[in-house]
Amino acid sequence: MRFISYILALLAGAALSFEGAIYAELGKTIGQIETSFYNFFMGSIIMGLLLLFFGKGKLSYTFEAPKWSLLGGALGVVYLTSIVVSVPFVGVGITMVAVIIGQLIMSMVIEHFGWLGSKKTMINKEKIFAVISMIIALILIN
Amino acid sequence: MGIFMILFTLIGGITLSAQSSINGTFSRKAGTIETTFLTFLTGTMFLTIFILFFGGGNVLALFDVPKCQLSAALLGTMYLLLTVMAVPRIGVIATNIAGIAGQLVIGVVIDHFGWFNSLVIEFDTKRIFALLFMILSLYFIYKGNKRSKEILNTQ
Repeated sequence: MRFISYILALLAGAALSFEGAIYAELGKTIGQIETSFYNFFMGSIIMGLLLLFFGKGKLSYTFEAPKWSLLGGALGVVYLTSIVVSVPFVGVGITMVAVIIGQLIMSMVIEHFGWLGSKKTMINKEKIFAVISMIIALILIN
Repeated sequence: MGIFMILFTLIGGITLSAQSSINGTFSRKAGTIETTFLTFLTGTMFLTIFILFFGGGNVLALFDVPKCQLSAALLGTMYLLLTVMAVPRIGVIATNIAGIAGQLVIGVVIDHFGWFNSLVIEFDTKRIFALLFMILSLYFIYKGNKRSKEILNTQ
């Protein structure tokens, strides 16, 4: 059963790469911001349906939450648009490696200082090695 | 141009990681489906304003493009659902590492064959070494996170 879960996670990652490649193509026909818009619009509908049928949480918390915790959507827009713009220029491989490096470094910093409500976890030797290896990979793949 | 694009994408990764921290905090009180819904909804709102002011493309062309290109929206949702299924069984770190591995391998495969009309970049020795370094990096992430956890437990 654990084995299947690993396959599921692998498939999840694969889905992201496919998504990037397909959206790059869509961006050429309808425009890049428009592609992002389509993604978020469709996502709202799909998640809206899921919410109606399976939502167990508390959506009204939105109005009580600190305002900074509502910024996730705006940040997601930057991410998706950067992928749609970048893939036609450098390909899916480099784009994905660059995204992962950005993610790795930023999540290390966020956790090191315990920002944005995350649990404080110190940067250690291994994590720095991880970033260095990723950067070498990016240089080789380029 | 290439370097500039890579920097731009790095910023994309930075915002993505800030997003997951913020959403993680928010979902503890509001729920996972609710958080994802809100993320998409606010994203749509921002982009509606952007398109009105800066949109140079044509949203209506959505009805003319091949339907398979529209399925990409489902892939993003699939990513979320599969991740939610895997995390309780194998943990966040293992899920992320397996996810990254899938992302990278398929990314290189798509480049090699030029699927979806993308740039064709062949899988050569340099790229094999690049993949090896990525695997090494994933190994370090795993080790690093395990060590952070041990330190937390002893405190």
